[in-house]
Order: sequence, then structure tokens, then C-alpha cells
Amino acid sequence: MPAAAPESKTGYILDKLQSLSGVVPIGAYLVDHLWSNSYALVSIEKYNQVSGELQTVPWRIGVEAAVLWIPLLFHSLYGMYIWSRGKSNALSHPWMSNWMYVLQRWTGLLAFVFIGWHLYTERFGGHGVTRYAGVAQDMTNPWYVIAYLVGVTACSFHLGNGLWNFACKWGIAITPKAQHAAAWFGAAVGVGCTLAGIVVVLGFHYAWFPLGGYVQ
Amino acid sequence: MADKTFIVRIKRQQRPDESVRWEEYELRYRPHMNVIICLRDIAEKPFTRSGVESTPVSYDANCLEEVCGACAMLINGTARQACTALVDDLEKPIRLEPLTKFPLVRDLVVDRSKMFEDLKRTHCWIPIDGTYDIGEGPRMAPSVQEKGYPLSRCITCGNCLEVCPKVNQRDPFVGAAIVSQVRLFNMHPTGAMHSAERLEALMLPGGIADCDNAQNCVKACPKGIPLTESLAAVNGQVLVHAVKSWLRGE
Amino acid sequence: MTQPKIIVVGGGLAGLMATIRVAESGIPVDLFSIVPVKRSHSVCAQGGINAAKNLKGEGDSTWKHFDDTIYGGDFLANQPLVKGMCEAAPAIIDLLDRMGVMFNRTPEGLLDFRRFGGTLYNRTAFAGATTGQQLLYALDEQVRRFESEDKVKKFEGWTFLSVVLDDGGVCRGICGMDLRTMEIRTFPCDAAIFCTGGIGVVFGRSTNSVVCTGSAQSALFQQGVYYANGEFIQVHPTAIPGEDKCRLMSESARGEGGRVWVPKQAGDKRAGKDIPENERFYFLEDWYPKYGNLVPRDVATRAIHKIVFEMKMGLVGEPAVYLDVTHIPRETLDRKLEGILEIYEKFVGVDPREEPMKVFPAMHYTMGGLWVDNQNQATNVPGIYAAGECEYQYHGANRLGANSLVSCIYGGMLAGPAAVRYARGLESGCENVPGAIFERERVRQQDITDALLNQHKGTENPITIWREMGDIMTENVTVIRYNANLQKTLVKLDELSERFTRINLQDRTQWANQTLNFVRELGNMLILARVITMGALARNETRGAHYKPDFPERDDANWLKTTKASYNDGNIQLEYEPVDTSLLQPRERKYTAKA
Repeated sequence: MPAAAPESKTGYILDKLQSLSGVVPIGAYLVDHLWSNSYALVSIEKYNQVSGELQTVPWRIGVEAAVLWIPLLFHSLYGMYIWSRGKSNALSHPWMSNWMYVLQRWTGLLAFVFIGWHLYTERFGGHGVTRYAGVAQDMTNPWYVIAYLVGVTACSFHLGNGLWNFACKWGIAITPKAQHAAAWFGAAVGVGCTLAGIVVVLGFHYAWFPLGGYVQ
Repeated sequence: MADKTFIVRIKRQQRPDESVRWEEYELRYRPHMNVIICLRDIAEKPFTRSGVESTPVSYDANCLEEVCGACAMLINGTARQACTALVDDLEKPIRLEPLTKFPLVRDLVVDRSKMFEDLKRTHCWIPIDGTYDIGEGPRMAPSVQEKGYPLSRCITCGNCLEVCPKVNQRDPFVGAAIVSQVRLFNMHPTGAMHSAERLEALMLPGGIADCDNAQNCVKACPKGIPLTESLAAVNGQVLVHAVKSWLRGE
Repeated sequence: MTQPKIIVVGGGLAGLMATIRVAESGIPVDLFSIVPVKRSHSVCAQGGINAAKNLKGEGDSTWKHFDDTIYGGDFLANQPLVKGMCEAAPAIIDLLDRMGVMFNRTPEGLLDFRRFGGTLYNRTAFAGATTGQQLLYALDEQVRRFESEDKVKKFEGWTFLSVVLDDGGVCRGICGMDLRTMEIRTFPCDAAIFCTGGIGVVFGRSTNSVVCTGSAQSALFQQGVYYANGEFIQVHPTAIPGEDKCRLMSESARGEGGRVWVPKQAGDKRAGKDIPENERFYFLEDWYPKYGNLVPRDVATRAIHKIVFEMKMGLVGEPAVYLDVTHIPRETLDRKLEGILEIYEKFVGVDPREEPMKVFPAMHYTMGGLWVDNQNQATNVPGIYAAGECEYQYHGANRLGANSLVSCIYGGMLAGPAAVRYARGLESGCENVPGAIFERERVRQQDITDALLNQHKGTENPITIWREMGDIMTENVTVIRYNANLQKTLVKLDELSERFTRINLQDRTQWANQTLNFVRELGNMLILARVITMGALARNETRGAHYKPDFPERDDANWLKTTKASYNDGNIQLEYEPVDTSLLQPRERKYTAKA
């Protein structure tokens, strides 16, 4: 705390908001997004119905800006500022949690790039309104598939590890035992999201409906 | 029979504004040597391996039983106390460097006054009324003492700051040791009466929010202090304090 | 006069307590310390701090604490101050408790007390195994609080060189050296309190910290302060020998059944665990069948010394004997001795559950020190006060375990207010002292330093001289003292002092030059070594830690008196003053009955 630094609590509040925004709404949205996209594994009709409903909410622009774009932009840009204040040292101190610290930063950057591109292509670009056919068309391109696999994995890791960080940084998991449990919870969320994402991407690529057994 | 020897490489810098040079010394091996003994051997014969006369190496050391915190340095790249660094356990050549997160004074000596200043800013003390005899202190549950005692063993060596990615020239983060001390004083019955001052201090730049949970600190602590537990606990305390003050409009 | 100005030199328990007391009275303090005060040697105290609070229903009292202390000290301590200390001790514990020391607790939340050597009562409050560290931190925090209120100014990283005396021989300031810039500067003050600790480094390897050189005491001695009872040095029987320092191995290892032995065949090169039972010499059990390995400290120390130095039966390669716990079941060791065995493991790198530990007695505590009066911690030089291990009151000829912390704090508590009273009573303060007085001292000190820096023809290495001094002091002036050996030691010290004049500084830089500081300390240590040796040579009796086989009895008729050394133009003179025994009549000290 050098004398030159402003003695203000703004930094604390922004830090906490950055951390919170990663869980709610962004993290929650990621889970919800993977959930609604999983309808692609059920059937084309179901997928189109669900996505259609989501894309026709009233005040769509406002809602999306409030719960998604602004938090996302804040989380990413402020996150990069935080990153710039740190100095990774995992090569000289190669402990697992230290590597997680490094990975959290790089996956954050990857996720930022991926989400930007994803929004550009799926939300603002060609389609405007997403239908199964359009996505499936994109997913015939192997580069798309690779980009999605990498992007979804990065987002999922960032969320899972971020949940662990959140539990520690908000004083939810205090003892080593609780932090250990939080790490496992985060890992489960991360792995779950990664798997769901991969399956959805492959579902589009192969026009595969593994969860469609109950639908007539 | 020739004596067994080994090599010590030392990063040397005469003054903060002078250039860095590495020197190699060949020392005679004896059982149970530690890094302090190596540095004393060099002081007795300050000739490098190639026979060039140098000067004794400057380094901090005092108790030599890992309880004063003075002799922290980078030994083979690891932040640790020199007194407990046994030559037998170290890969050779042994590499000695000063800690990097504190201003360099000379050779292996750095200026860790930042930590003492931060203890001041965070009000890490029990504000007693005076030293006159006014009777016994507050009662304390043994369970509180058992939690507090490990925290109070912090030797302010700075190893936790050295390994923290968030402690560097760009960020004024106070580091795990200081946060852990805040937890200790907030735990004490009298200290708890004044916890708000400490928590407020940790909301300022360089405070608790700078911790990004790399959890290196706890691994570098020579005293096994549960630093990550302290960070999480104080994180929670600051948050509750912040929300309460906000709701009350303070 | 205006606001008085007080300087405290030394930031251990005594110095911090004195600082707190002065600051509390509203007078600003400048606190000087070689190391950041939080790193002072007080951190090394492990066991605890004595106070007869009688919380265990044992009928303990401050009088009994007083009696134990005087008896343990073999009646050499002046009694009124010791009584004052024992009476103040319970309130000192309360104060420390209020300061937040994490003392161990009873289930009821009260302070827990345990039993220590030299007493029958549970009188020792403790905070885990690092009581000294915990106490030092509590005082450090209070001083930091005063510092944040600008009532204390710390000068950490400064070494004390000398006091500034005016033409009337009154202390008017101190002269110090910044260990970073090597700048020599004087600081005016009305009174200076010295709390500069023990002198273990004079003995080379001791349980003391690197800064415990006694350099400040020696400098004061050379400027006219008496040095009292220098010959009384406490040696702990079982320490882990190290080339850098000796680390204590608690008596509890023997309490749990540990056995002390050496190979029967001197020079046996086998590892300890490979030597069969019938080739081991359990000398304590052999010589003292009744008490075996649990003979009192001084007896064990003397026996080990005799084995190693007189009978030359020490272990190969180093002066040491085995302290063996390998026959004790591992789970017992882990349950009862884990803490101390870990220290051995950490510093020696050997598992003491598998191999016998190598231990040796080590110089541990300085009972003697700067002479101070019977009331105020005042030395014989006006304006100079002393407290803590650097002065000689409280422990007589032998210190009782867990009494050191309480004596340091009590001394500081007295010295602070006494210095303030003295300063307030001065007719004319340091601000009226001519600058030339200060400049004179500064130049004197600068000249000494310059002479060292400019001596290019030196051939003697300071570390070598220090090692040789430490070796001969340890061999002849610690446990067992023979007059012939003491005389040889004085001859050796003469030789070393002569070689010291041809010292090669090796480092002539003017920035963070640790060699320069060490050499200045070494010069002072050589003089202190002489004071100790001369005191020991003169005292022809056995008392407490001072043991002369040629004079095996305590001799109250001739030697119930305090040694006072003084320094005049390079000559050390000894004189004596009677001990104040007004409260307790000296009686025979029979340790055998206590084992």
C-alpha cells in the first residue's frame, strides 16, 4: 500500500464484483446455455423450439446486455487488469495450485476470444436467429469443431476453477478440508460442463441424437 | 586423500545500483553443513573457485534455529531459510540468490521493512490501556488458543510473499503473512473489539482482494502456518464487514 | 529543560519493555537495534516464564519463587531486586496475557502452568514451545503501536559503537553506525537504556544468536561502566552441536528414558547404532548409579566435559557424546518427544529414532553483565541504564529455568521509568551540550573505522581469530575451570589481541559491509573474554555454574561477593562488593537432594 495509491475501497468492490460476476450471472448462464443446447441431443424440433423461445424473450437486447454482455465485458476486462498486476511464477514454483493460477488466466483469455467469436458468428453474424440447421451447417467445418472444443473446454475449466477460487475468496470454504471439497466441486462442474459441451458439439457435427430416445 | 568438495554459486551485487555477477566457490564438505556454514567458510577464505580474491558475502542471519526469520533467501530457486538448508539435501552446485520481491541491499541481503510497515497499517496489535497492573486478561477457550498459536508463530521471513504471484513491483499486496496476522488479532477477545479497523485496512489497495488464490504461500511457509485458511477466513470477515457497513450506510 | 530524550539500545524483551514504559509516560524514544527488533534473540527462549500465580492449588507463593531463585543462584544474587521481580511476576504474566500472548490454557480458559527445573511448583506459564518468541512479538506489537503514534522511532539496522560522555563523565548521547550506509552518527539523549543481551558469541559456538556478541557491553565497559560477575556463564548439558551454533535438546529426552553414552574404545569410527551394547560406556549411569542419566544439569554438563576433554573419549571427529532414544518404542517417541526430535531431524538431517543423537554441552546464558544498582537498573555512569541479560542482577551464580524472560521484562519495567526520572531531574538537558562533545566522539569512532578500512597490510582473518577465541574460551572457561588453563587462556587472548592489530578486513567497501561491523565487534569481544577469564581465575571457589575442581566447595567467608571489573587505560581491574543477603540467610545448596 504505497502512499501514492489512492486510499479507496473502489478496488476492493470492483474485485469482488469481478469475482461475483464470474459465478452469477456468467457462470450460471454458461450452465444454462449448455443445458438449452443439450436439446440438440434430443431432436431438431425440440432444439428449435427451445432456442426459439429464448430468442423471442421481450426486451431481448436489454436483457442480454444486463445479464450477459455487460457482466461479461466487465469480468473479462477487469480480469485482464487483475492479470496484469500479477506475475506468474509457475516455472520456478511448480505447485499444482500455482499452475491452476496460470491456467485460470490463459483459459480466461481463450474464453474471452472464443465467446467474442461465438457471439459474432451465432448472435450478430449470419443467422441472427439460431436454428439447428444453421449450427449444424457451421459444424461441418472441422475448424469450427476444433474451435468449439477448445473454447468450451476453456470456458468450463475457467468456471470450475473459478468456483473454487470463489469459495476461497468469499470465505465460503475456509479450512483446508473445505477448500479441498470446494476444489472437487469445482472440478466436477468443470468436467461436467466440458463433457456436456463436447457431446453437444459432436452431436451437431454428426447429427447425433443420443438423448432422443424418449421423443416420438 | 583429498577432501570432498562441492560448489556454491552466489548471485552477488555490491549495491542496488551496481551490476550483478555470479561467483563460484569450492568449499570443503563436512557432515551436517548448512548454507550458513557455507557462507562463513567463504568469509574465512573469500577466494572464488578460480582463485580470485573477493569479499565476504553479505547475508542476514540471527537465531540460526528458524525462529527469527532473518536468513530467508532463494536456495536452488526455492524461497527458504538458510539455517535449515542442509548441504546434504541440496542439489549441487548450490545456487544462492537474494529474495526478488524486496528491494536489494547487497548480495543476499534484502530490505523487508515493507512487511513491518504493513503490520503497522493493518493495526496488528492488541490495544491495551496501559502496562500498569489492572488484573488478568480475558479468558480464552483452549480451542481458540490452539487455532491462534500456530498463527502467532509467523517469523516474518517473507517467503510467502516471495512465492506469491500477486506480490511484485506492480501490485502493493500485503501478502499472506500480514492477512494471517489480522486473523490472529481478530481472534483474540480484546483484539476482536477492534477488528473493524483491520478489516477496513484490508479493503484498501494492496488489501485482501489482491489475493488470487494461487496458494503458493502455504507451501513456502517454513512454520507450516495455515495461510490459505487465514486468507479465506479473513476474506469472509472483510466481506461480512463490507456488506454490513454498506447496509447500515456507514 | 524541555521534553527529555531517551534512547533504548536493543530490541529484545527488556529493550521493548523499557521502550513501552518510556513511551507510555509520554516521552519520545529512539529505539536502536542491529536487527529488526522482531528478530531479536529473545525469540529463542522455549520453555516458559515463571510467576507464582498459584492457580493449581499448590500453595505456591512469590516468596517461594524468590527462595528458589536465590537458592538456585547459590546466594550470589542481591536479594531485594530478586524479591521485587518475583512479586511483580504474576502481574507481568497478566500484562502479557492482556497483550494477546497465546499462552496455553486450562479447560476453564485460564492460563496453564507447568513445572520446570529447580522448583516443586507448577509455576511456568508457556505458549507452546516458543514462549520467548510469543512474548517478544507481543511487546513488538505494542511498540509498533507506539511507533504508529510517533511516540517511538526505530533505528533498525544500526549498531551501537559508544556513548557520548561529556567532560563530567555524564552520558549525553550515543554513537552508532548505520549498517547499510556505514555512516557513523551521534544521537543526543538525556538517558540511554542498554538491553543488549547475552555474550554467547564470545564462546564461538553457543545457543545464542549471531548478534549476541556482547560488543555493546564491552564498549560501555571500556568507557567506564563496571562489568559484574563476568565469570558466571550457564552451560546447558545437551545441545545439538553445530558448526554454526548449538541448538538446545530439551532435558525431556532423558526424562523419557534417553541414555547418554560414548564408545568404550576411544576413536571408534563405527556409526553409533552399529556399536554393540557391551562396547558402550554409559558414563552417567556408571558414575552416578543413583540418578543415572537424570543427574542435575551441572553434574551432567561436567561429566560430559570430563569425558570429552579430559578423558579424550568423545565421538570421532567432533566433541560430542551420544544421547540415545533409539531403544524407546517409536510410538512413545512420537507421542511424547516429537517436537524436539523434529528439531534434531531438521537441523542434523538424521532421524533420532533410528540413530543416537550427538549432543554436547553448550554455553547458554550470561548471568554476569553490566553492573547496575540495587534499585533503578542504573549503572555507575550517570545516564546509562541496563536491563535484561546484559546486566548482572537477578540470577546470581546460576539461572533458574524460565526465570530469564521474567527478569528481562521486569528489568525493562524498572529501567524505563528510572531513566525518565533521571532525565527529568537533570538541570541541563542534552540540547545544551556543546556540539563539539558529540563531534569528538564521532571522530574518535570514525578514526577507528577508518584505521580498519585503510589497513592494507593485514594478514589475520577475523573469522579465524574469532574461532580460536571461541575454542579456547569454550575449552577452558565454561564448565570446568583450572587456574593453569585460565592463565593459558589469558596468554592466548593476548596473542589474539596482538594478531587482531594485524587484521585484514577483506571488505573495504562502504555499503552494507558486514565484515567491518564484525571486526569492530570482535575487538570488543576480545576484551570481554579477558574480563570473564580474569574473573574466573580470581574466584577460587565453586559456586553455581562456576566450578573449580581445585576449589570444590563454596566459600562464603571469602567469596560471597560480587566481582566488579573496571577498565582503566587498557588495564582491567577487579574489585569486589558484598552481596545483599538481607532477606535470606545463605544455606548449603545440595542439588543431590533435588534430583
